Amino acid sequence: MTSLTTSPATSPGTSPTSPTVRRGPAGLLREVVRRPSAGVVGLLVLICAVMTFLAPSFLTYGNWYNLAQQMVFVALLAIGMTIVLITGGIDLSVGSVLGLSAGVMAYLVNQGMMFGLCLLLAVAAGAALGLVNGLVVTKLGIPDFVATLAMLGVAGGLLYLWTGGVPFTGFMIPVYDTLGGVTPLVGDLTAPILAMAVIAVVVAFIMRRTSFGRHAYGVGGNREAARLSGVDVGRVRVTAYVLSGTLAACAGVLLAGRTTAVAPTIGVGYEIQAIAAAVIGGAALAGGRGRVLGAVLGALTLTVASNVINLASVSPTWQPVAVGTILLVAVGLDRASASLSRRLGRAAPSR
Amino acid sequence: MPASRRLARAFAVEGVAVAVIFVGMVVFFSLASPFFLTGGNIANLLVETVIIALLAAGMTFVLVVGGIDLSVGSVTGLSAATTMWALMSGLPLPVGLLVGIGTGLVAGVVNGAVIALLGVNDFIVTLAMLSVGAGLLQVVTSDVQLTGVQSDAFAWLTQGSVLGLPAPVLIAVVVVLVLEFVLVATPFGRSAYAAGIGPRAAELAGVPVRRVRFGVYVLSGACAGGAGVLLASKLNSVQSGLGSGYELTAIAAAVLGGISLAGGRGSVWRAVLGAVFLGTLGQGLQMLGVDPLWFTIVTGLSIVAAVALDRVVGRVALSRLLGADRPTGGPADPSTPLRDAALENEDPRSVQPLAGSAREARTS
Amino acid sequence: MPDRDTQEPGPQELLRVEGVVKHYPGVVALSGVSLDVRAGEIHALLGENGAGKSTLINVLSGTTQPTSGQVLVAGEPVQLRRPRDAQDLGITTIHQELSLAPELTVLQNIFLGRELRRGPFGRGLLDEHAMSARVQGVIADFGLTERDLRRPVGEFGALTQHVVEIIKALAFDARLVILDEPTSGLAEEERVMLFDHMRRLRERGISLVWVTHRLDELYGLVDRITVLRDGRTVATTDTTESTPADLVRLMVGRKTTSLGVIAEGRTPAERPADPRAEVLRLENVSRRPVLRGVSLTIAGGEILGVAGVAGAGRTELARAILGADRIDGGRILVDGEPVRIRHPRDAYRLGIAMVPEERKTLGILADFPLDKNTTVSRLGKVARLGLMLDRRRERAVTRDYIDELGVRTTGAGERIRNLSGGNQQKIVIARCLFTGPRLIIFDEPTQGIDVAAKAEVYRLIHRFVAGGGAALVISSEIPELLHVSDRILVMREGAIAGEVRPDLRGDDLEADERVSAEIMSLAARSVA
Repeated sequence: MTSLTTSPATSPGTSPTSPTVRRGPAGLLREVVRRPSAGVVGLLVLICAVMTFLAPSFLTYGNWYNLAQQMVFVALLAIGMTIVLITGGIDLSVGSVLGLSAGVMAYLVNQGMMFGLCLLLAVAAGAALGLVNGLVVTKLGIPDFVATLAMLGVAGGLLYLWTGGVPFTGFMIPVYDTLGGVTPLVGDLTAPILAMAVIAVVVAFIMRRTSFGRHAYGVGGNREAARLSGVDVGRVRVTAYVLSGTLAACAGVLLAGRTTAVAPTIGVGYEIQAIAAAVIGGAALAGGRGRVLGAVLGALTLTVASNVINLASVSPTWQPVAVGTILLVAVGLDRASASLSRRLGRAAPSR
Repeated sequence: MPASRRLARAFAVEGVAVAVIFVGMVVFFSLASPFFLTGGNIANLLVETVIIALLAAGMTFVLVVGGIDLSVGSVTGLSAATTMWALMSGLPLPVGLLVGIGTGLVAGVVNGAVIALLGVNDFIVTLAMLSVGAGLLQVVTSDVQLTGVQSDAFAWLTQGSVLGLPAPVLIAVVVVLVLEFVLVATPFGRSAYAAGIGPRAAELAGVPVRRVRFGVYVLSGACAGGAGVLLASKLNSVQSGLGSGYELTAIAAAVLGGISLAGGRGSVWRAVLGAVFLGTLGQGLQMLGVDPLWFTIVTGLSIVAAVALDRVVGRVALSRLLGADRPTGGPADPSTPLRDAALENEDPRSVQPLAGSAREARTS
Repeated sequence: MPDRDTQEPGPQELLRVEGVVKHYPGVVALSGVSLDVRAGEIHALLGENGAGKSTLINVLSGTTQPTSGQVLVAGEPVQLRRPRDAQDLGITTIHQELSLAPELTVLQNIFLGRELRRGPFGRGLLDEHAMSARVQGVIADFGLTERDLRRPVGEFGALTQHVVEIIKALAFDARLVILDEPTSGLAEEERVMLFDHMRRLRERGISLVWVTHRLDELYGLVDRITVLRDGRTVATTDTTESTPADLVRLMVGRKTTSLGVIAEGRTPAERPADPRAEVLRLENVSRRPVLRGVSLTIAGGEILGVAGVAGAGRTELARAILGADRIDGGRILVDGEPVRIRHPRDAYRLGIAMVPEERKTLGILADFPLDKNTTVSRLGKVARLGLMLDRRRERAVTRDYIDELGVRTTGAGERIRNLSGGNQQKIVIARCLFTGPRLIIFDEPTQGIDVAAKAEVYRLIHRFVAGGGAALVISSEIPELLHVSDRILVMREGAIAGEVRPDLRGDDLEADERVSAEIMSLAARSVA
């Protein structure tokens, strides 16, 4: 008696699926509820509409160009976070990984190493940190948020020690001006914006069209089922952390170019923004659900929110407070939508 | 006496590695630095340890019910700031203390309400609170210079002594004894263990699980508030970023003390042992001229090491040693494959007919 | 695609298990199991809880490695190290907890872990067309449409989810499908449909190993039966050659049928001639959609049974009375006074206690010792000044219950997880008694405990009622209800479908048959 079937008995002969087929308004509502990213777009449009009235400078090309420039870093982290969330994990270390990778990049460029090689090594550093996360979580069986919290402390501490508290500077060779988006690459488009677009498309493709993506959803949706179906659960989870680390490193390399210095605090607080963006974008903390496009929209929402804070001439020190609050609201809504969709699902078959 | 036997057993089993390393550490630091075992240093070590111990004690309650509180660090910093602000506004000392502890209490109430009443994921909520707390601290410190309170009584909290015993130690001993009593010997504490062991079973047995869950976050918040007051007294100055990283230290202390992240297991004095361990380590590193940032790294690593040790050694060797006395996580039911208790403590998200998930919704 | 011809159940042997032994630290789960399954037969695997059925399945599905012994498939010895090894040999296991990811679609679930791929990069891309084409021929047979393939599995009911698992097996040319208690959680009609599906599989020449403990389902469906007891095979017989009584004897190993044990508990003389004062009354209690207008009364000294199929709302009724779920309509009266029960704690204060179903997850607090399990529902009774728990009293109280209820244990300080199921259940009953209740709700009180312990649980229920208490007993086993209850309410789709009175003498088999037929028809009739 472990489960109760509320769907009333189907009389033999009818299709067993018939009682669960639901159309009409309730079905439509269910669809909307099942795709919380629809809600994000609504929220975003609402904020934009209100801001357009209140602040004339909001709906200008210049402002949105800046927004696009700013959102890149959170968007990349949120995409990585979404992958990890889909597999049912969480990665609290992305801020530190971002920072340390940026540090590797700046240091190597200063050593006069070939730029491409620096780039490769910096991204590899992020991937390696992600690999450590993944192995600690899967092989040692340490809860994900504890393992990645420890990594947050370790990687953050290492960057502090390495820099000695003094930012790395002087690595802004001309090619880095382009990579960092100081000078545009194609037309008005800068390298970070292009990188974000390309990465988002590639990751979306991976999650939808490759077996890794499919397995990631399976592992997050029902780990035991995935295991019994022959999915190498451990490898999928480790890969998710590696991807998250890699994307954090990409964000770090780009962010270093934008800030033109790698301060030891460069990545502090980014993990919360990344989680908030992913959750706003419809990734479920319980796993099995999430979209790359949602993560990008989530990042845009957060960026617009801090833009709103700016335009309203509120001190930017309020920004973490806002992010924390938005995260709370988003998770609360996620929870509410889950229970609402469950209620709809339960009510429907009983007529 | 059962207490001493329990102590011995706990040390012999769960704390054995910690104890050995601890003694080794003290010997090493004493040899390496002649100042290590001197009065001044011990007093200094104590304040830091007491703050960690307070946070770890609060964290223990949260861990026992199977939750986690990542906000304690930033709440500690914020409480330190509000304490300083109250005292600098000329409010009397008791009011200042209440303001500090009250700040933590409010944060705890918000955490507890959102987690227990709305049922939102605990580490996300407390992570958001971490952000909110750190942000508010930044806001407060960017407006006013919080430093230089002229109050001997305030300074006494961390620098004073009674009959040769340092005041912070007295405070810590009292608080820890009270909290240990609450956890082990009161209906609230018992309910906390029950809620951690099996929330659904506990609920059906009449344990007010939600209320207990709410209570532990409030308690953890209050402990963070108290820690903030001590921190303010110690530094007599509050800057943005104060307290960040303490959540890691508190969790590490609890975990080093053998408290399970899966819930249902742990006690305050063990967390305090872990805090003493970490406090000594931090101080020792400082005496040796090692950059204190190494401490963060070591703390992070020690969590991983402690949990891994608990997992690997605990499962294989200690379960044999203890036989029935400890959850082995293994062969209690031979029909189910070995499962990892901590990872599987949530209901497996197995597919069930829709009504199955409806029930999950009701009980969660 | 299964390309095998339909074949007569012949003597060709598909699977042979020889002397498989499995030791866990401190426990012997299997101590010599043998099994042979022929091609194209339905083979039932019977046994009580703890007989080793689950471990054997785990061995056959590659999730557990045996300590010794061997498994042969089509005469060849094989090593099953991972689930994949078994699948590659054509052995598919459909576990009791269905192995599906709710967010993935039917098609995605069918191919999870074994996706068909294409493309240049190590064939890393998914080939949706090929996957959908591969199951095309099968889905119609099992009542699924093309559209259903693209919908998340979580939207379907339990039967369809079983069907998805079956198609999953067919898509990869399974030769042997192991079904682990597939009918639990299915309504009567759904079970019948599942049996049709099983026959269809047999027609395709696929062998089925069907794990169950419901004897009534075997006849007319199963070809041969293997009975396990205490981790070893005790017999393999043809279904036509053994009666249910034989099978029960083989499973239990003693010459007692469960009915006999039940009957000895309480003689008609013990039943109060006139029920005492009413303890609980429900008026039109609703919790939509699971409960609709339930009204009932229970008096002191009375045992009220509640029957119904899974999903009829029995457990929901219990949870509503206990306050674990809110009700959205109707009144609950205790001693004639309307009461508001918002939380189980309120219920315990009002003298209502519950022994929950699913003892392991909902009943015991596994890491607590016996004494803490006993007192947890009413800590105020062992707290000085309501503040300080008196450990000595807790121990003393628990020791009293251990003696009184005959709990086999090393002492009040032992962890409850180390006890056998029956003894755990006695401690859960002790917890209820400790709260000083006048009504105890027993939800599937004998689920998963052995026959001897069942008898003791019945005796405890009887003793409680003889002392003036009232009991509400929910059970899926009709014989159990017939012999325990004074009255039996039958629930269907969240409402009371009717009430029957069992024959009180408890030895008239014909009367029992008649009453159970009445219960079945009340429970199953569709809404007029």
